[in-house]
Amino acid sequence: MTDAVTPADIDPIDRLAILAAALPGAVVRQRQITAPFDAVWRVVADLEHAIPRYEPGVAHVRVVERHGELLRVLVQDTGGREEMMDAKLRPGWCLMQSATVVVAFAARALGDQTLLAHLEHRRAATARSARSARSARSYDPRPAEAKVDQELQVIERLATQPGE
Amino acid sequence: MDPAKVVAAQQGDALALDELLDELAPYVRRLCARIAPAAADDAAQEALLAVFRGLPSLRAPEAIMTWVRSVTVRTAMRLVRQPDQEVAVGPALAERSVPSFEGLADIDDALARLPPSQRAVLVLRTREGLTEEEIATALGIPAGTVKSRLHRARAAFREMWES
Repeated sequence: MTDAVTPADIDPIDRLAILAAALPGAVVRQRQITAPFDAVWRVVADLEHAIPRYEPGVAHVRVVERHGELLRVLVQDTGGREEMMDAKLRPGWCLMQSATVVVAFAARALGDQTLLAHLEHRRAATARSARSARSARSYDPRPAEAKVDQELQVIERLATQPGE
Repeated sequence: MDPAKVVAAQQGDALALDELLDELAPYVRRLCARIAPAAADDAAQEALLAVFRGLPSLRAPEAIMTWVRSVTVRTAMRLVRQPDQEVAVGPALAERSVPSFEGLADIDDALARLPPSQRAVLVLRTREGLTEEEIATALGIPAGTVKSRLHRARAAFREMWES
């Protein structure tokens, strides 16, 4: 029988919530940014220039491979250490992953403003949380939340004051 | 579904999780639209959250579709808000064959008017092609209950179709 139901794509903000559900200890924060979607996403998608601006531990970022939505990104931290990240990037959705960290952004237009959600996750935390629910409960997320909030504020500034 | 991808997702590989979501979401959304048409979007999001939250506890990665189906069906059933009153019918009415259908929209309308518990078994049997045993597993009910609900659902559907 022909299927008459055509499911729509998942909203990026909903997609981020689902991803976070599978990553115990992941920090997700949202910010309503007073700039249109295109202006906000231009900042998020410009990995090479934007990441060193909002991520305090990163000095340089270089996209070394690109196949459609899939990218490989070389990230150098402020101590000179390099780490390769695999990434998926399309309008409204950015997911980056190295051996140690997961970073994601999701955006939805809200009229002439934008809802931007940002996830950060230490991959070691997944195994740790799976081993011990008690350690997951004792984990204090506030410093990580404050860091993610700060990064969202920087992205808002870059989107609203592009000449900065 | 590639079990290796499921295992990678269980271990926190975010890109594997992203791919898994792309593969599971159409199935979950379709099931929710069939079983809980009035709350399909909410049901699909809740079901996907439950699936991904529970993914690390899945012991048999090769059985993921059976597990996803069960989580989705139960979530959709929980979110159906309309009163669930099953319609009792006589055996003669229930045993008659279902007529052939012209318009899918009409079928969906008729399905949407069935009580949720009857709609669920009829959708899973006729639209998803599950056996009665598989439906029993998905809904967490005895196979005999599936059989009786199917009997009532077919009869109720037929009455609506012919009215």
